[in-house]
Amino acid sequence: MSRYLITGATTAVGEALIRELLQHDDTERVLAVGAEEVRARSVEIDGRVRYLRLDLTRERNIRRLMFGAAREERVEVIVDMASHRGLRSGRRARALNVLETRHILRLAEEHPTLRRFVYRSYGEVYDRSGLLPSVIDETHPLDLRPRAPQWVRDRIEADLSVCQRMGMSDLTIAILRCAECLAPGTGSQLYDYLRSQVCFRPLGYDPVINLISVEDLGRALALAARSDARGIFTVPGATTLPLSEVVRRHGRRGVPVPGPLMMPLYGARRAVLRTDFDYRINRGRLHMGGVLDGRRAAEILGYEPEVTVTFGVD
Amino acid sequence: MVRETRGDGYDSFGASAEGAALGLAATRLLYERYFRVQSEGIDQVPASGPVIVAANHSGSLPLDAFMLCADLLRNTDPPRPPRPVIDRFVPKLPFVGTFFSRVGAIDGARRNVELALERGELVVVFPEGTPGIGKPFSERYRLQPWRVGHVELALSARAPIVPVAIVGAEEQMPTLAKLDLHPFGAPYLPIVATPFPLPVKYRIRYGAPIALHEELDGDPRDPALLAAGAARIKAEVQAMIDEGLRTRAGVFR
Repeated sequence: MSRYLITGATTAVGEALIRELLQHDDTERVLAVGAEEVRARSVEIDGRVRYLRLDLTRERNIRRLMFGAAREERVEVIVDMASHRGLRSGRRARALNVLETRHILRLAEEHPTLRRFVYRSYGEVYDRSGLLPSVIDETHPLDLRPRAPQWVRDRIEADLSVCQRMGMSDLTIAILRCAECLAPGTGSQLYDYLRSQVCFRPLGYDPVINLISVEDLGRALALAARSDARGIFTVPGATTLPLSEVVRRHGRRGVPVPGPLMMPLYGARRAVLRTDFDYRINRGRLHMGGVLDGRRAAEILGYEPEVTVTFGVD
Repeated sequence: MVRETRGDGYDSFGASAEGAALGLAATRLLYERYFRVQSEGIDQVPASGPVIVAANHSGSLPLDAFMLCADLLRNTDPPRPPRPVIDRFVPKLPFVGTFFSRVGAIDGARRNVELALERGELVVVFPEGTPGIGKPFSERYRLQPWRVGHVELALSARAPIVPVAIVGAEEQMPTLAKLDLHPFGAPYLPIVATPFPLPVKYRIRYGAPIALHEELDGDPRDPALLAAGAARIKAEVQAMIDEGLRTRAGVFR
């Protein structure tokens, strides 16, 4: 398979994926879709790449893409990564985070040339309560708290929407639940957390966090896109550190504060500075560690984390 | 001391070489001077490959676990960093959970232990669990119901089990009563007879490794098979405890 459609192509991860695919001579075409016009130059790095600016929150645009450009280009594989990068809530965020994936998957099943669907999901969909294994594999329970914020609910709903079609569709479907990528524009909560000069953490807790580099994430997605493997894969990164060490290496000052103060402190930060980090989303993992177990990805996709995360870069 | 650390100095469970060194330093005085630990048969512990060390548990505070782990780290050659399996409420305790994580302890979820054994590590279990550590003084050195999880893991990982008897810990801090309070998810709050542990003498005795995967024939998930394996280990530990009690000169010497 050598003709790809990539949504969310203008993110750092999208660009890394495109670079990775273009390294292979058998890659004939990459149809890159993003929301920004100005970023087109960063992805059209090769004559094999065609960039389309599209608002994928509109179902009509998705239909036009799938039965217009994607049919013209005889696309065989979709890598779906489109989601809101920030902590947005409301109908429009859900339209991109969840409905876009549902629509594109449904249309992919009717498409004349598409054979494979790869969905980039998030390690954050897993439950991080202290009563569960600290090594997280594909069978780990999902975070189905009834009052989970929309950010989490959307990711789980999109992930499960894709899971739902496994075995019921002629497409080969793979879901990559990836470790957090500490880079701008990737939707990383931790990235936003580390933008403050002072980072609060709950007193008495210093959980272990696993982070993936943009390069490794791009490579994992490319491996999935180029294979026929089906199912769910947890994708860890090469960097495993306690939170205090992540803060220190990023050049920030870590300040432990009693747990009950975390919510008001970060609530005030969000309200005043309009930042994305939401303590409600991160409460579990700021207390209890959890590292993704990449055995299945290693055995089936041949993915091993290689590149450690670079800290201290805004 | 080698563990999978991916170059950042921390493994998937949060352990680090610095944490292990800190753990050794923190237990040094207790091990050498306070409890004057006497170790017998450490050469029974295989030098490599997956292995489960199964010991009795007692004394209100898990100091027996600290002493056993310190003994393993100090006296195995080459040093084998132990992976003590802790009760699942412990990681939730502030400071304590972080400390345990750095020194190499793992949350007692099956997947964690499986992974440690797959990596060829030495796992330390206390199959009595909290009922062992909190049993009344009148039941000292009588093993509580022995769980079967370690047998199942040993069978599936084809790991030998080294039975261990710890004599001395029962008298360090007798439990008088248990309050039905559950701070941070703890199973109870103990009322103890002494404000601090008494300077009892610890004796740690290692038995010969038992390869249950060679002795027991059948489905490793069969409850009857697991019960038979657990009974075998429990009987071995009880016999070693009884022997240790017979031969010791006294509680404090």
